[in-house]
Amino acid sequence: MGDKKKKKSSAKTLQTAREAGNFGKKILASARTAAEEGKPIAWSMVDWWLGGTIAKAMGVELCYPENYGAFCASVRRAEPYLDYAESDGIPNTTCGYARNCIGYTRRLQENNFVIPQDAPGGGMPKPLFLLACGAVCDARYKWFQSLGRYMNVPVWTLEFPQTGVAEYYLAGNKEENIKFMVQELREFVSFLEKLLGKKMDWDNLSERLDTIFKTHQLAHEVDILRKSVPSPAVNTDFWALMIPHLYLPDDPEALEFYKRVYEEVKYKVDNKIGAIPNEKYRMAFSELPPWHTLGLFDEFAEKHGIAFVIESWNYHAPSPLPESEREGITDPLELIARYSYHKFNESAPTAKKYCMDPTIFTAPYLKWVEEYKVDGLFCHPLMSCRPATYTLMHLRNLLMEKFKVPSVVVEGDIVDLRVFNEEEAHAKIDAFIETMDYYREIRRKEGFGW
Amino acid sequence: MTVIKGLARAEQIYQDREKRAKELKAEGKKIAGYLCCYPPLEIMTSLGYMPIRIMGEMDEPLTEADTYLPTVMCAFYRSVLDVAMKGRYDYLDAFIGAHACDGAERVSYVWRSYLKSPCSFYLDIPHTNHAAAIEFFKKQLFYLKEELEKTAGKKATAAMIKEAVTLHNKQRSLVRQLYELNKQDPPLVSGSEMLQVMIAIMCIPPEEGNVLLEEVIEEVKGRAEGPKKKKGRILIWGSLIDNIAFTKLIEDCGLNIVIDDTAIGTRSFWIDVDETEDPFDGLAIRYLDKIVCPRTFRDTKNTRMEDLDNRFSYLKKMIKDWNVNGVYMNIIRNCDIHGYEISEVRDYFEEMGLPVLVIEQDYSTTALEPLRTRFQAFAESIN
Ligand code: SF4
Repeated sequence: MGDKKKKKSSAKTLQTAREAGNFGKKILASARTAAEEGKPIAWSMVDWWLGGTIAKAMGVELCYPENYGAFCASVRRAEPYLDYAESDGIPNTTCGYARNCIGYTRRLQENNFVIPQDAPGGGMPKPLFLLACGAVCDARYKWFQSLGRYMNVPVWTLEFPQTGVAEYYLAGNKEENIKFMVQELREFVSFLEKLLGKKMDWDNLSERLDTIFKTHQLAHEVDILRKSVPSPAVNTDFWALMIPHLYLPDDPEALEFYKRVYEEVKYKVDNKIGAIPNEKYRMAFSELPPWHTLGLFDEFAEKHGIAFVIESWNYHAPSPLPESEREGITDPLELIARYSYHKFNESAPTAKKYCMDPTIFTAPYLKWVEEYKVDGLFCHPLMSCRPATYTLMHLRNLLMEKFKVPSVVVEGDIVDLRVFNEEEAHAKIDAFIETMDYYREIRRKEGFGW
Repeated sequence: MTVIKGLARAEQIYQDREKRAKELKAEGKKIAGYLCCYPPLEIMTSLGYMPIRIMGEMDEPLTEADTYLPTVMCAFYRSVLDVAMKGRYDYLDAFIGAHACDGAERVSYVWRSYLKSPCSFYLDIPHTNHAAAIEFFKKQLFYLKEELEKTAGKKATAAMIKEAVTLHNKQRSLVRQLYELNKQDPPLVSGSEMLQVMIAIMCIPPEEGNVLLEEVIEEVKGRAEGPKKKKGRILIWGSLIDNIAFTKLIEDCGLNIVIDDTAIGTRSFWIDVDETEDPFDGLAIRYLDKIVCPRTFRDTKNTRMEDLDNRFSYLKKMIKDWNVNGVYMNIIRNCDIHGYEISEVRDYFEEMGLPVLVIEQDYSTTALEPLRTRFQAFAESIN
């Protein structure tokens, strides 16, 4: 048990990745400082820059309970919160991040909303409102709604339409989706103005958007650089680097930081320096990581020469919004809507090409396996997160059928260490090496490019 | 030859759910299969499609699902895809998937990646009942109509849709009349009979469903031998039930199921579509806003009590009107939509002084028997 509790973090291969964790600390610290100064705080779901940017432009400081869940798991201190949520009737099948947050909120309430001394990472202060989001997952609004049992704060749910592939191509439908998102963002602005008693700062919002586009452009270019062989960075680097581009891309500090990330990765590519010393196999990882045991991937690298070259579609910055979509758009809300929608639907042409659904979580990998010369897919079905798990089996069928790329399934969880078996993961990867060799040969014979 | 009518006919349809659809298909009628209670039946009906609700099979071991879906997802939707992959719904002319919840959404995607029907539509359903969401949903319904028209070989005019609204509203009204009969003690219809009738009318054309409902109402009104009086008059809340093995087990334990708030039950029929000038207005409002399911987020109200009442006061009314003295909260394992709601709804019922039983179950008849003792104990706890 003592050993199980021991932190098992990854050493990471990029210097910038080792520094990126500071952005996580900054999020929590800024929220606490703001709370002390009496400024508005909100807890927000990851919303692909839809509403969070607007709230920040209105002077609201945000913390992210999903990220907090990942953090608590990474320092192996989530279990008490999970237990505490479950003991209040929350099924143990619900999202690990949610149970972590529900358990935390229950404690916070019992402590009269003073952050408990022992809260990991210093804790999240009580919010003025909760910013939920309809994208990808029902838990991301149902869980915030369920917090009403512990604190009486309003929940705003951001609409994020989910378009099927065929429907994406129906005449006018994409514009209907954008129109709807813009209308909803306008409603959100009204909600905020009423709640905060002040007017929206449109200039601030435009500035933030500009910074987001710049930060993401760099993050996207880093993704492109990662196509190089050997791979200049791996999944564990990415999962640290994503904190600034997922949560703080509008922060000038994140933009400056990403310039350094780009430089570091570019240098490695130019000098053919691999992230891991002896890259033999290139794997993709889908979808959310076992935050509690990231060191596992270092072990796979050392033992088998496996470089995880691409991962977690959901966390990546999209390609830049095409000029045709930006041209003539003066309303920042429309620009935001177009950008977020673009993130979710930019792989629609790939999905259409292969006659499959959905674009989310699935189609991007059909592009990636070729572009990143992937030998195998690591599927990580999560015991407590269905949205990032639903399509994994479908994805592995597609990769085998279309590209002769095999996959290995290792069950686990984002937060809940109790359902993860490290030895089994090792045994499965040991056996998978031969499978990857076998299919490399098949792909060669069938004329695939890698 | 005796004509089978009423409850016996409902049982017959329940036992062989696709039979009528296949007969009609052989006669040249088109059949549209749909998920959950959100795709408007009126649009299908107006275009000459017979709507059939896609269901799983609690009796059937899952042999195909694992190839396409992970084990940790909603057991009902795993079963839905399992039976579909085994060919149960191969005869469909149209498949209408829906973003009712994550499970329905992803199964819609996976379904149509492998099973190709002449017409296939994925209906996106917003998460809120905001005005813009209703407007957007209305537009999506219009797309659904246009896609169905391509294979229906005809166009649906406003008049045709209005006619279908009237037909389906009649069905809703008959369903409500039938539930009304359960306000008596003992109720006139058992939970298992009710479930058979609900499933039957979801598997036959609405005109035939209406005749069936009229027959059932007449039959039970005059029956001498209905359900026996029992200690418990319960409401079932939560994930759907589509197999009478489950309701029978509950009723065997000294409980009468008098009313429900589930998707193969009142949620699908409780509220009419308003007969609006533009029928799409009435449809969008009814299907997005007026169906009350935890999948739709309703903006937080000023106080906690107001918020809870805004979301659950219809339950209070059901409890009072049907004189309910216990609540069974049915959760299909991994159903997040209901899972997150458990604590709040349980508190709400308990504050009304009602005993509550919460069970997460695996949507499998082989896993039912171990639940018997829990229902027995629950029945004991009811005063
Ligand atoms: S996507 Fe998964 S991890 Fe994220 S909130 Fe939803 S259930 Fe939790």
